[in-house]
Amino acid sequence: MAIEPGAPGAVAPAEGRRNGGLAGLEKGIRQLNGVMKWVGGIALGAMLLLVVTDVVGTKFFAWPVPGGIELVGFFAVLVAAFPIAYTQWRRGHIEVEYFVEKLSPLPRQIVYGIVTLLGLGLFIVLAWQSYELGRSLQLSGEVSMTQGIPFYPFIYALAFCCLPVCLVLVAQFLKIVLGVVRR
Amino acid sequence: MNPALIGIIGIVAMVVLLFLRVPVGFAMAIVGLAGFSYLTTPAAGFSILAQDFYTNFSSYTLTVIPLFVLMGAFASASGMSKRLYDASYSLLGTMRGGLAIATIAACAGFAAICGSTNAASAVMGKVALPEMKRYNYNDSLATGSVASAGVLGILIPPSTIFIIYGILTEQSIGKLFMAGVVPGIILTVLFVLTIAWLCWRNPALAPRGQATTLRQKIAGLSGLLEMAALFVIVVVGLFLGWFSPTQAAGIGAAAALAIGLARRQIKWPAFKEAIMETLRISCMIMVIVAGAMVFGHFLAVTRIPMELAGWIGGLPIPPAGVMGVIILMYLVFGCIMDALALIMLTIPIIYPVVMSLGYDPIWFGVIIVLVTAMGVITPPVGINVYVVKGIAPGVPLYTIFKGIWPFLIAIVILTVLLIFVPQIVTFLPGMVSY
Repeated sequence: MAIEPGAPGAVAPAEGRRNGGLAGLEKGIRQLNGVMKWVGGIALGAMLLLVVTDVVGTKFFAWPVPGGIELVGFFAVLVAAFPIAYTQWRRGHIEVEYFVEKLSPLPRQIVYGIVTLLGLGLFIVLAWQSYELGRSLQLSGEVSMTQGIPFYPFIYALAFCCLPVCLVLVAQFLKIVLGVVRR
Repeated sequence: MNPALIGIIGIVAMVVLLFLRVPVGFAMAIVGLAGFSYLTTPAAGFSILAQDFYTNFSSYTLTVIPLFVLMGAFASASGMSKRLYDASYSLLGTMRGGLAIATIAACAGFAAICGSTNAASAVMGKVALPEMKRYNYNDSLATGSVASAGVLGILIPPSTIFIIYGILTEQSIGKLFMAGVVPGIILTVLFVLTIAWLCWRNPALAPRGQATTLRQKIAGLSGLLEMAALFVIVVVGLFLGWFSPTQAAGIGAAAALAIGLARRQIKWPAFKEAIMETLRISCMIMVIVAGAMVFGHFLAVTRIPMELAGWIGGLPIPPAGVMGVIILMYLVFGCIMDALALIMLTIPIIYPVVMSLGYDPIWFGVIIVLVTAMGVITPPVGINVYVVKGIAPGVPLYTIFKGIWPFLIAIVILTVLLIFVPQIVTFLPGMVSY
């Protein structure tokens, strides 16, 4: 689990070791991502189990899982949100690479730096606003229709999942800056 | 400032961000957030960002994406692609060009259980390319056929692109799936005819494979049976209204896992890898969908889609001419952008225009999938070509692109056919109940 060689923010392992604090940050991110993706994986397994149980229950025993649809939706939040940082770390989000790759190395790194900061800004706002949304729903006591499950823990989960994404983007930005300074 | 002008500035800004390599989902969310905040209030813009992300992530309709991706991952991990190829090879391998034809046939089969074009090319390439190399197939034909066969992955249901299109346009995913069946079969036949024609012109391109016994042919058929079983469960289940799309995807994923476990192909490492791959792909798609929703809210405030539809409707150009321009635009942008991202970016703007011209939304979905699929195999960004290059690093990119052209012509022929005979697409969805 590492940033692809040549991708923005990628540095050689030996260089990574020399970066001290940055290497520590990377190690922390890797460990955090390890936990996050497993939470997502368990939620995915639970979602699959729930859908299959619901289908079998409905078709053969006339007993659909109570609140099955809303439970699947709650698991889906965990499936989508927990791997965001891991996906960003693996540079798995779709990008149009063609034009930036044509630039010479220094302008390319500067563009990567700006782009990384934009992403960081987005996820800081998303974390903050998700927290605000979760808090407002917690205070108003809003719950799901069938099972009466509160919405706010899942919105807080989304807010929480943005924090590792911010860490990944900070680490990628620092690598780019270090790369430009050393040049 | 005029909202429509702000909208145009927003679209230009987004294209600039995309070309600067901002991830597609991030770019749409950033521009949508900034534009919506400017046209309403920053507080409204900020709050819509969180609401759109949460609404999308928790959407029951969208859970069809991770579950279908999981089904493809389990099918791949359970070795179905290899068995499909072996089955196709045992039936078709002795023909001239038989290995390439077997690749197309196996890819069409794999497309019936996997919704991704890159995955279909990658999985089939790993199985078929070494075999074709062993039999001294021409590199262009071998790699071109594998890269092109991947296109069947997004045309034959289940298809990730159809799911996204259905969600964005509020069309039935079941009907879209059905709409892809006949064009998918026709494209398979056209690809096979292309190979046969190439081999007829130059027999040295593809020597005959080894003959197989009747026993091997019968044994190979078991590889087709499990694929057929999965297809029946998922697509026929949807067709007959047994399952909703999410239920069909869940049952399909569970069945693919059961096949892998029964065959002892899926053990812990393969299971773990399938889960992680599914998480990565699903998260990537969900972030784009959420970004597209934020961007869509911004566009709605600018009223650009509605005004554009009204403006184009008033032009003294026949609808077919406008459709021609739209198809050309998708073809050009498809060459530099991922198909999924392109559809997410453009559908909120283009779809109202197409509806105002009176075209069938299901037909348009199939046409768009076909046209963007051409971009998947054309330079400079043809992603499937890079996937194949990754599997066959010794073959130059130029050679692979050279091998693509005959198959590209086949896709163009199908597109033209569907434009002039839209009933090929629309007759089957008319029979779907879900």
